[in-house]
Amino acid sequence: MKQEISALMDGELFEDESDSLLGRVKRDSATRDDWEVYHLIGDVLRQPEHIHCGLSAKVRARMQEEPTVLAPRGRTAKHKIHTMAWSAAASLAAVGVVAWMSMQITPETSPQLALQQTALRPASAGIKNKTNEYLMAHQEFSPSTGMNSGAYYIRTAAYQPGEK
Amino acid sequence: MRMDVAFCRVMLGGLLLIGGNAHAEDWQVGLDWLKVIAFAAHQTEYSGVFVYQYGSHVETSRITHVVEPDSEFEKLERLDGPKYEIQRHHGQVWCYINQKMVQVDSRQTHGKFPDLLPEQISALGENYWIKETGMERVTGYNAQTILFKPKDSLRYAHKIWAHTDSGLILKAAVLDGKNKVIEQYAFTQLQIGGAIDRSWIQPSDLTDTNLSQASPEMAKGGASANGGWVVDALPAGFKKTMEIQRPMRGRLAPVTQLVFSDGLSAISIFIEPDNGDEGEGDGLFSRGAVNIYSKVMSQYLFTVVGEVPPRTVMQVLDSVRYNGR
Repeated sequence: MKQEISALMDGELFEDESDSLLGRVKRDSATRDDWEVYHLIGDVLRQPEHIHCGLSAKVRARMQEEPTVLAPRGRTAKHKIHTMAWSAAASLAAVGVVAWMSMQITPETSPQLALQQTALRPASAGIKNKTNEYLMAHQEFSPSTGMNSGAYYIRTAAYQPGEK
Repeated sequence: MRMDVAFCRVMLGGLLLIGGNAHAEDWQVGLDWLKVIAFAAHQTEYSGVFVYQYGSHVETSRITHVVEPDSEFEKLERLDGPKYEIQRHHGQVWCYINQKMVQVDSRQTHGKFPDLLPEQISALGENYWIKETGMERVTGYNAQTILFKPKDSLRYAHKIWAHTDSGLILKAAVLDGKNKVIEQYAFTQLQIGGAIDRSWIQPSDLTDTNLSQASPEMAKGGASANGGWVVDALPAGFKKTMEIQRPMRGRLAPVTQLVFSDGLSAISIFIEPDNGDEGEGDGLFSRGAVNIYSKVMSQYLFTVVGEVPPRTVMQVLDSVRYNGR
């Protein structure tokens, strides 16, 4: 099961296989957990800064509270309208309806999303400090320190560009 | 995929049984090298500049290591970005934070840095295939390359380049299951022995006087303990090497630290009461070969740190339980 998920993420499954697997992910919560864990690992490999787990669950919970589940589509719909509105005057009437809909939706969704992002940001500074301390405490007892002295203490020092 | 790996392992196991003797010799050579390396790390005086790289991140540092009768001093300075410096001496770790040296750790040792224990070295053979992989040249020195290939997918492969004369590690890389380099460091300039700058060694400065200024609560290193925590899903071969109650900066209560090692990598588990800070808990973080996973469970914040794949730290954390007394 796990290697199938891994293969699906790597794009190595045939279409019918991925369909049935995605179906299983939707139905079975254990499979969904695996799916999320693999994505979390993938995310942290690509971007090693702190990655929150359970984020999708939190987003899902927030979306439940939103007035409409269509919310995130608001933006794309609006974006499309811009291009379509100029090119196809004939469908203006229909577009008008969609534009009206998106205006109803976007003002409410974007502040919500922005809120969520700012809520996450301050925590990461604290996490970074804490992380360095865990690294320091860990390094002391790691056999790698016994083998090449303190060179690996540099892990506790690594900084990201932009840091003060 | 996993089936294939399991199958290969069975096949390999069979082959090894047949060719057991030849392989045992390889191991022995590898293990002998390790003893030389561990000795060299402590007994050699050197100073050099090395590059540390993981992902797209590259940085340069200078390390200086001098040996005095009955003690070792080591200074690690980051040469890129903001000033950062670590000094180690007598089981004490000092760190340059906010324009002053602060003691971040202290341990009662006998003047020397923690050594690789003989049992740790022999445990290596149980968890890794150890193989000499030829000679290479690093920073103008001849080096023996040694590869440690894990026997399961729960740990990384390690490759080291050891100076053939002194045994110093000139270069080291951590590789994943697909042989992709996860992190590496390599000396770009290195002086072994000879006149090495000792002006920074100020024994009087590095003792109790500064200690009180820095942070009194850090003065004591922590007491060994057995708090009744049990870890069910450690990868095979990881043995408990330590359990202490340690002070940590910014914490009111001591933090329990459990350390497990397979001889090459270590996994630390930190357990502390959850202070309920929003967003500080659950998450996965990686720096080079080290992965860190945190999670709040039943009012405790658990943090697992190790030079092992993300999957392993997560698996370990999820298997920690309290064996109530």
